[in-house]
Amino acid sequence: MSLALDLLALLVMPVVIVGTINRVKARWAGRIGPPIFQLAFDLVRLARKTPVYSSVTTQVFRIGPVVVLVTAIASASIVPLAGTESLLSFSFDFVWFAYLWSLGRVALMLAALDTGSSFEGMGASREATFATLLEPILFLVAGALCLHADVSTFQAALVPRLDDPSSVLMWVAAIGALMIVIQVEAARMPVDDPTTHLELTMVHEVMILDHSGPELAMLQLGAAIKLYVAISVVAMLINPLAGQATLIAAIAHVAICLVIAIVLGMVESLIARLKLRVVPQYIVIGLVAAGAALLSMLGRTGHS
Amino acid sequence: MAHSLQFPPPATMAGSGLFLASIPVLLIGVALAAGLRTNRARGLAALSSQAVAMILVIASLVPVLLGDGPLEVIWAWPAPIERIAFRVDALGAFFLVWSLPMTFLGTLYSLGYLQPYFDHGRNGGPHFALLNMTSLSFVLIYSVQNALVFLLGWEIAAVAAWLMVIWDYRNQKIRFAGFNYLVSTHVGLFVLVAAFMLLHSYTGSMDFADFGRYLASHPQGQGTLFLLLGISFALKSAFFPFHTWLPRAHSAAPAHVSALMSGVIHKAGLFGFLRFTLLSGQPEAWMGWAVLIFGAASAIFGVLYTATQRDLKRMLGYSSTENVGIAAMAFGVGMLGWAWSEAPLAMLGFGGGLLHILNHALFKCSLFYAAGAIYRATHTIDLERLGGLAKRLPRTAVIFLVGGLAMCALPPFNGFVGEYLVYSALLSRSAPTVEADVVLVCAAAVLAFVGAVGALSVTRAFGLTFLGSPRDPTVRVGEDAPRTMLVPMAVHSVGIVVLGLFPTAALAIIEPVLAELPIASSGPSLGDTLGPVVWACRGLALVLGVAMVVAWRRRAKARESVTWGCGYTAGTARMQYTGSSFSAQFSSLFRPAMPVHTREHLPSEPFPRHASSVSTHHVDAVEQRMFEVIGQGEAFVRDTSSRIPEQPRFAFAAGLLALVIVALVAIGDVL
Repeated sequence: MSLALDLLALLVMPVVIVGTINRVKARWAGRIGPPIFQLAFDLVRLARKTPVYSSVTTQVFRIGPVVVLVTAIASASIVPLAGTESLLSFSFDFVWFAYLWSLGRVALMLAALDTGSSFEGMGASREATFATLLEPILFLVAGALCLHADVSTFQAALVPRLDDPSSVLMWVAAIGALMIVIQVEAARMPVDDPTTHLELTMVHEVMILDHSGPELAMLQLGAAIKLYVAISVVAMLINPLAGQATLIAAIAHVAICLVIAIVLGMVESLIARLKLRVVPQYIVIGLVAAGAALLSMLGRTGHS
Repeated sequence: MAHSLQFPPPATMAGSGLFLASIPVLLIGVALAAGLRTNRARGLAALSSQAVAMILVIASLVPVLLGDGPLEVIWAWPAPIERIAFRVDALGAFFLVWSLPMTFLGTLYSLGYLQPYFDHGRNGGPHFALLNMTSLSFVLIYSVQNALVFLLGWEIAAVAAWLMVIWDYRNQKIRFAGFNYLVSTHVGLFVLVAAFMLLHSYTGSMDFADFGRYLASHPQGQGTLFLLLGISFALKSAFFPFHTWLPRAHSAAPAHVSALMSGVIHKAGLFGFLRFTLLSGQPEAWMGWAVLIFGAASAIFGVLYTATQRDLKRMLGYSSTENVGIAAMAFGVGMLGWAWSEAPLAMLGFGGGLLHILNHALFKCSLFYAAGAIYRATHTIDLERLGGLAKRLPRTAVIFLVGGLAMCALPPFNGFVGEYLVYSALLSRSAPTVEADVVLVCAAAVLAFVGAVGALSVTRAFGLTFLGSPRDPTVRVGEDAPRTMLVPMAVHSVGIVVLGLFPTAALAIIEPVLAELPIASSGPSLGDTLGPVVWACRGLALVLGVAMVVAWRRRAKARESVTWGCGYTAGTARMQYTGSSFSAQFSSLFRPAMPVHTREHLPSEPFPRHASSVSTHHVDAVEQRMFEVIGQGEAFVRDTSSRIPEQPRFAFAAGLLALVIVALVAIGDVL
């Protein structure tokens, strides 16, 4: 059953999450906003279009979106998407998870550089720079959670364990760090503005300026899946029923995901994006939080 | 010369004979390469002798790798050496099995790479002879048990590498780079000689077996020797902060020499380290920590410098420092596991490190070969002048991309499986204290950082070289690599893919080495640890392959247009993003570790009449500091000597007298 739930969540939830965030932003702006499933309509429309390729580009440009989408789906198989069980789980699967994201990122950056556009080079440079600070966060948090729970798979580590004050500290710090990971990885405010109109200030959006038609659809779907996967990770940590193979756990998971999406939408409506040179410092806050999560392990005697 | 040969166990006699026969074969190749008339014949002589030697050595090593015990031969020799023991155990066999074939492929590559020089009448004989000598030095270093002969092999490798680096000796910069390398490698040699002399004075023997018995029984003497040997091997393998010679030498040398130095020759330092770790028996925990931290420092600084280099081969050179650092981190964890008697941790650490060494040899050679192909075609490896080469050199582009992705440890290539083992060791939660576990998780985060910066550097290098439009119209692009260069490149690329999807092939030569660790191995084997992730890699490779084919076949329907210039319609190739701008934000985050020299001529008036310019130059912090200190030393000597009065006799006499007294006191102390 959990397999079917995972697949269902993979199909539906990325679209719903993006729709929810956009709906919340529209409400704050006093508009009704697009339908929840708008992304799905957009994807279908884009997939039917004829792509336009720049004459500068090579095969790298065409392969990039494929790799982005495949790695996003592959990384989704490591995380329990419906709050119950993940499709795949093995020791230190979060290493695999992090490197899948890294592969997708490199493919996207290379596709951007392939156009020879200085704007897209700028976006790739920013993405690469932020990623160097982001990767350690993921490993520190995952390492701390695994150490705390004495497990070695991502899904087993992603369960709230609040038995003493130091665990609470770790829990709070880990969730804080992961929220920053979501904002950077999924290109949300205050790190990146997905709806900005100025190429000079974009990170993720500028890298896909030249993509069109089916390629653009693949990139947008990949980004939505990554966003949902990242939200799922945080939701697992919050969900008290996480890891149980019951329908209630799954419903609770989806509800928490939607709440996180609403929170993200509110953050985006109320906060302006950070200046680009301040973004690394913002990510360092996440690094510090992740370090705090790990350090809260000190002082505990022996493995719990 | 040789008085008698003793082959202790008759069963391995044939094997030992085959093994030793490779030495005269290689020497005959040297003689032929130096003596024949045409470059083609010289190259073929070197190639065929290396091929024969390679087959002999590998054939003789098969029983060692199958677990039938080491090959042993004792060669009686006139004084002062008396006897030379050859003993190829699984560790030596592991290094020999890929070092010799890779040197062979490098020699093959050199035939194509040096062809333009040959066309101008250059004699390639000495170069081919030196490549043979390099193979010979491997046969000696990885097998011999006698310190003097080991030093001989070490020195052959060093001098041969130096002479090969200065192939283009008419260029003063290249001579300087070669000299820099020569001095550094000999500083390392002196330290190694000091360590061996200490051991000789303790044991009265030059035999490694005696060294081992002494080290195992005198743990209190290990500290000094650990430091001396560690520094020497670190210089050989170009660990931070002993790496300054490396980027210069790698950018100056012909591509195949850089490849062999970085991928193969300098692995001898790590071999020496492992050899003495195995000889000294169970280490103490501090040694493991020291190696881990030292390795982490190398990995971090090495990878930071890859992000800002303009010169493609310099960037690859710094990446060698990074990768030996990663291997050392793995060995550090392995030593910790051994010190704590945690067999699975020791296996993961040493196994991961060995696999990473092999992986690095594969992808680094292929990257240097691809850089050589770029140089052959364009006569430059300056990132800021290249661009758009993927259309002109498609084969080289694919090979560089595969090597580059492996270098930043991305799945499904071989770099990933090696680092996955290292991660498994670091995250295994098997340390005796929570504090130690926390530090190991931090080391895993360091490795993740190194991987992410590596991804930045590879994206930058590949993106600027092969993608976009050509940046400099004065760069003329010639032909893609000829077949002699392409075959070695392709073989390495295939190795990268095969080891990424089927790492058991590499584990077959690594597991015999781990069996030599005197620590009971329990728990899952390396193959079992890698099992699920390897299946995941295969699945990913399959899906990616199918998806790419589908995407490929759809392209017929596409329309073509220009790159969107964000409303600006007069874009030129010069307006593309450059290498320095790509890494500008990143390097500004790590400015204290990555100093930059900026020369700028900014406009000052509302209507500037002169052209303005900005140029930035990223320098090596360690080298800068080193030159500063040397400069201060020179200034000190100059000041002091200028203070010696016009009539220096009295001053010198007094100085000499003081020296004699000091020397006498010192000698009296010793006696």
